[in-house]
Formats: sequence, structure tokens, C-alpha cells
Amino acid sequence: MHEPSLLQAVVPRPAMNATTSQPAGPKPAFANAPDVTIPLRFMVVGVISLLLSVIILVAHPEVLTSYHYNQHVVAITHLLVLGFGLSVVTGAMYQLVPVVLETRLHSERLARWHFPIHLVSVAGMVWMFWIWDMKQVGHFGSGLAVGVGLFVWNLVRTLRQVRGWTVISFGIASTVFWLVAVIVAGLAVSAGKSTYELVGRPDVSPLLALPLAGLKATADFLSRFEPLAVMHAHAHLGVLGVFILLIIGVGYRLVPMFLISDIQNPRRAWASLWILNIGLAATFLTILLQHPWKPVAALVVIAGLALYGAELFAIVRARRRRSLDWGLRGFLASQALLIPVALLGLALARPGLVLTEAVGQLENTYGFLALFGVVAFAILGMLYKILPFLVWFVAYGREVGRARTPALHEMYSTPLQITGLGFWVAGLTLGVAAILLANTTLSRLTALLLLLSLLLFLVNAGRILSHLVRPRTQPFSRPNHPVLSTL
Amino acid sequence: MNTGFSSLQDPGVPPHSPFEASLWEALRQVIDPELGINIVDLGLVYRVTSEAGVVTVVMTVTTPGCPMEHSLVFGVETTVLATPGVQGVQVEVVHEPRWEPSRMTPEARAQAGIR
Repeated sequence: MHEPSLLQAVVPRPAMNATTSQPAGPKPAFANAPDVTIPLRFMVVGVISLLLSVIILVAHPEVLTSYHYNQHVVAITHLLVLGFGLSVVTGAMYQLVPVVLETRLHSERLARWHFPIHLVSVAGMVWMFWIWDMKQVGHFGSGLAVGVGLFVWNLVRTLRQVRGWTVISFGIASTVFWLVAVIVAGLAVSAGKSTYELVGRPDVSPLLALPLAGLKATADFLSRFEPLAVMHAHAHLGVLGVFILLIIGVGYRLVPMFLISDIQNPRRAWASLWILNIGLAATFLTILLQHPWKPVAALVVIAGLALYGAELFAIVRARRRRSLDWGLRGFLASQALLIPVALLGLALARPGLVLTEAVGQLENTYGFLALFGVVAFAILGMLYKILPFLVWFVAYGREVGRARTPALHEMYSTPLQITGLGFWVAGLTLGVAAILLANTTLSRLTALLLLLSLLLFLVNAGRILSHLVRPRTQPFSRPNHPVLSTL
Repeated sequence: MNTGFSSLQDPGVPPHSPFEASLWEALRQVIDPELGINIVDLGLVYRVTSEAGVVTVVMTVTTPGCPMEHSLVFGVETTVLATPGVQGVQVEVVHEPRWEPSRMTPEARAQAGIR
């Protein structure tokens, strides 16, 4: 028996259009996806931010080789994680969450408002980190929190429409939770690094005095903790809680879809996410408190990652599509980098580890591989799947069946893609060497390799986006389709 | 005719009238952009029937929640409506029976690198 999931009303034959002799035809019912310009504008900002991050690295190669607790490293890190990572993830989630969960985005209007708030806030935050004005970081960070609040509200309302939890919706919900947590933690950190000259002065309005007192109380509370531990705890919430959990949750949907495979063991997939959530909570607390149980928390995270790795491997092994395209290869390579990152994390979690030059270099390697290796590499790989799809949707969604439309992989150059991904891998390898050897020349070469990779990506992104202004449809000829079987 | 899904045709319906054959042919104009192969050779079309000029197409997608679903449905509607003799079209997207690569023609499987 067929179980219809989508039953269209009868579409009647329309009157012929006098000028084109073509029926006006039905209108596409792209029911679940929001206006494609919403994700696209976030993604464009994301790619520009990544490019800027790497250009700054070329100009300041010492960022990779000096200890990471300085204003320039913090500024570039936030340009990378907020400007690039959060922008792309936000755009992708606005587009993909309704699609993968088979529901509608709660409000496109909120998503439109989110964009300018996000753009101004991230730009302001990064600039203020660069000049180390923490009070202004807090102000721009509050703007970012407003934008994230709109985003979270939109996603929570969207998730509420979903009937029954899947491993994918659980992964997305976990990400949303940790996103709120990392923003709150970040605001608390900036409050802790600000000064409060106005507190207690009689000429200050009560409307201002109350929030100022609250911020000062936050700062006083945070002063109990070691500043570096606070920063590291905050960083783990962001990288592991927001980016890696999202990559895993969405990956459980996208990787089987692209490879024509299935989740092989749903219990293992669920367990991986639960254990990662528990491990991250424990990691945050043990780092913050500098607790001797840090390695235990790290081992819990590693257990979750191991289950994820086993499930991902099983999905790839069971694939029906033999050939892996290069976007997916890039994504899978980025996930393999979780192994050295996890091992480094475990080594650095050793209680009582004294901060020496070598330990600082290992910490930099850990952060570099997590950000540029796992997160940025995974996003770049997936962008080769998502960006063509978004553009195709706009340029050709109304042309299907009327004219021959290009396949997604025909919208960009595969040789350029392979070369670009190769430069990225070379940059990662050289970057690790540069950090471990504390060599700024190698560090600059690393940045140049990453820049070359991004420039090739931009050429391909330009090719993909050019379909918006110059669609490449071809009229059907006789035979009017790729003939693969004979009548 | 090598369709690869004859078992999914209604048992009482003759294999294909010339009109229905023209509909199957028209549906080959709808190409899945991810794989670059038309939906007939992909085995996504389960059944095509017509009554008084109103055509019903029962089809599926490669995976539930496929982001291309609405584009493909739109393409089916467009191409069927452009076929002479068609007065209306109804498209049903089903997920049971689930699509399997074995529904593809051998040529399509080879082109897509699917086993």
C-alpha cells in the first residue's frame, strides 16, 4: 500500500500564454524552505569573515605562535567563530532546519531582523577585542545576544512543531541550548573584565544603577575563578557545544542523505549526543573550577566522539553511492581530525599541568586544529553541498521540467575545489609545525596556504552565485532528456 | 519498456497506452539536480494513471525530507501539464514503499556510481 505523505490538489491545465505559447503552469510549492536570501546573506558574511581572519593571519603570523591569551588572538578567534562559524551556521540552520525536520520556519521576519543586528554586533565585538575595550565588547555582545535571542526563539518555536524527537532534532536542540549558554558565559566574562566607576554614585539614575549593580556582582563572582580557566571553559562551550554538536547532529541527516545510506545504529547515534552533552557540562565545570576530575570529563567527551565516529564510519561503509564527492571528502577529513584534537584535549586536561612554553604550544595546536581543522574545514566541505543547492533553488526551481537545468556539481569547478581543499590540508599540516616550532615564517606560509585555498573557494563561490544573474538553462532537444534506458 | 517498477503498477491497468507512454516520456524531462539523472530512470516514479485527462503521478524521493522534493513535484506538474491531452495533474509523494537504488535502471546506477 502506498502511504501518501504529500497529496497535491489537482492542478488544472492553465490557459496558454499568448506571447510564449507556454502554459503558465503551476507555481512551485517550496513549502518548508524560507526565502533563500536569508541564509545566503549570513553565508556571504561568514565567508568574508573567514577571508578576513586569514588575511589578518598573513599580516600577523605571530598570532599562531604566541600564547593565545592576548587581544589579537581573542579578536581573530571571535572573527572566526562569530563572523564565520556562527554566521554560516545561522544561515544554514535557517535553511536546513525546516527542511531536515520537514516543518516551516516559525518566522522569516525575525530572521530578517536578526541579520543586521548580528552583522553590527560581530563587527563591533571583533574591533573592540582588537583594541581591548571590554566595556564596548560587552555592549556589542549584548547586541549579539539580542540577535541570538531572536534566532533561538525562532528555532525553539520551529522545533515545537516537530512531532516526536529524532536524533537530528535532539542534536539541534542541544546546540541551541549551548548557544545560549556560551553567550551568557561570554557576556559574564566581558562583565568581569569591565570596571564600574559609576556604581554607588548618588547622581546615577536608578534605572542605570540596578543593571550596573548586577554587572558588578557578576564581575565580583567571576573574580573567584582563574581568568584563563574562565576563558577556556567559555571556549569549550562554544566550539564543542555549538559547532561540533551541530556538525554531528546535522551530519546524522546530511551524510546519509548525500551518500544514500542510513543511520546504522540509532541507539549509538542517540548515545553519542547524550554522552557529549553530559561530557561538555562536566568539561565546563571542571575547567572552570580547575578540578582534578578534568581528565574524567575529557574521557566522557571522547567516549561520545568515539560513538559518533563509529556511527559515521558505519554510515559511510553502508553507503549505496560508491563515489564520494570532494565536498564530502573534505567534511569526512575534518571529522577525522577530531581524533588528534581529542587526544590533545585529554593530554591538556591532566591535573596540575604547569603552563610552560611547550604546553602553550600544545594548547595553540589544540585550538588551531579544532577551529581551522574540525570546524572551518567541515563547514567549507559542507558549503560545497549547501551553496549550490541554495542557488539552484532560486535560479532553477521554477525551470524544472521546462528546460534542462544544470546538476549541482556542474555549477562549480571540481579541479579548483580539489586544489583548494588540498591547500587547506597543507595549511593545516604546516600550521601545526609552525606552532610547535614557534616559527613565524612557517606561520605566515600557513596563512598564505589557507588564503590560497579560500581564494579558490571564492572563485568557485562566484561561479555558483553567477547562476543567480545568468542562469544556464538549455532548451530540451530531441531526445529531450539524458537517455539512460530505451523504450 | 524498461521501467524497473512494473510491479508497482496497478494490477488491472494495461501496461501503457500510447498516451501514458507519452507521459512517462515527458517525465524524463524532470532531472534530479543532485544526481543529474531523470526521475524515471532513477525509479522515483511509481505509477502514472489518467482518467478523463486528469493525470495522477505517484512518486517518491530518494530520502524522506529530501530538500529537492518540491522542485521535483513542480517539475512533474509542469511537464505533465505540457503534454497534449492533459487537463489536470495530481502528484502524490509517498514514502512507502521506500525508494531503493535497485529501482534505478542499470545505466542510471552506473552513471551515479551507485551500487
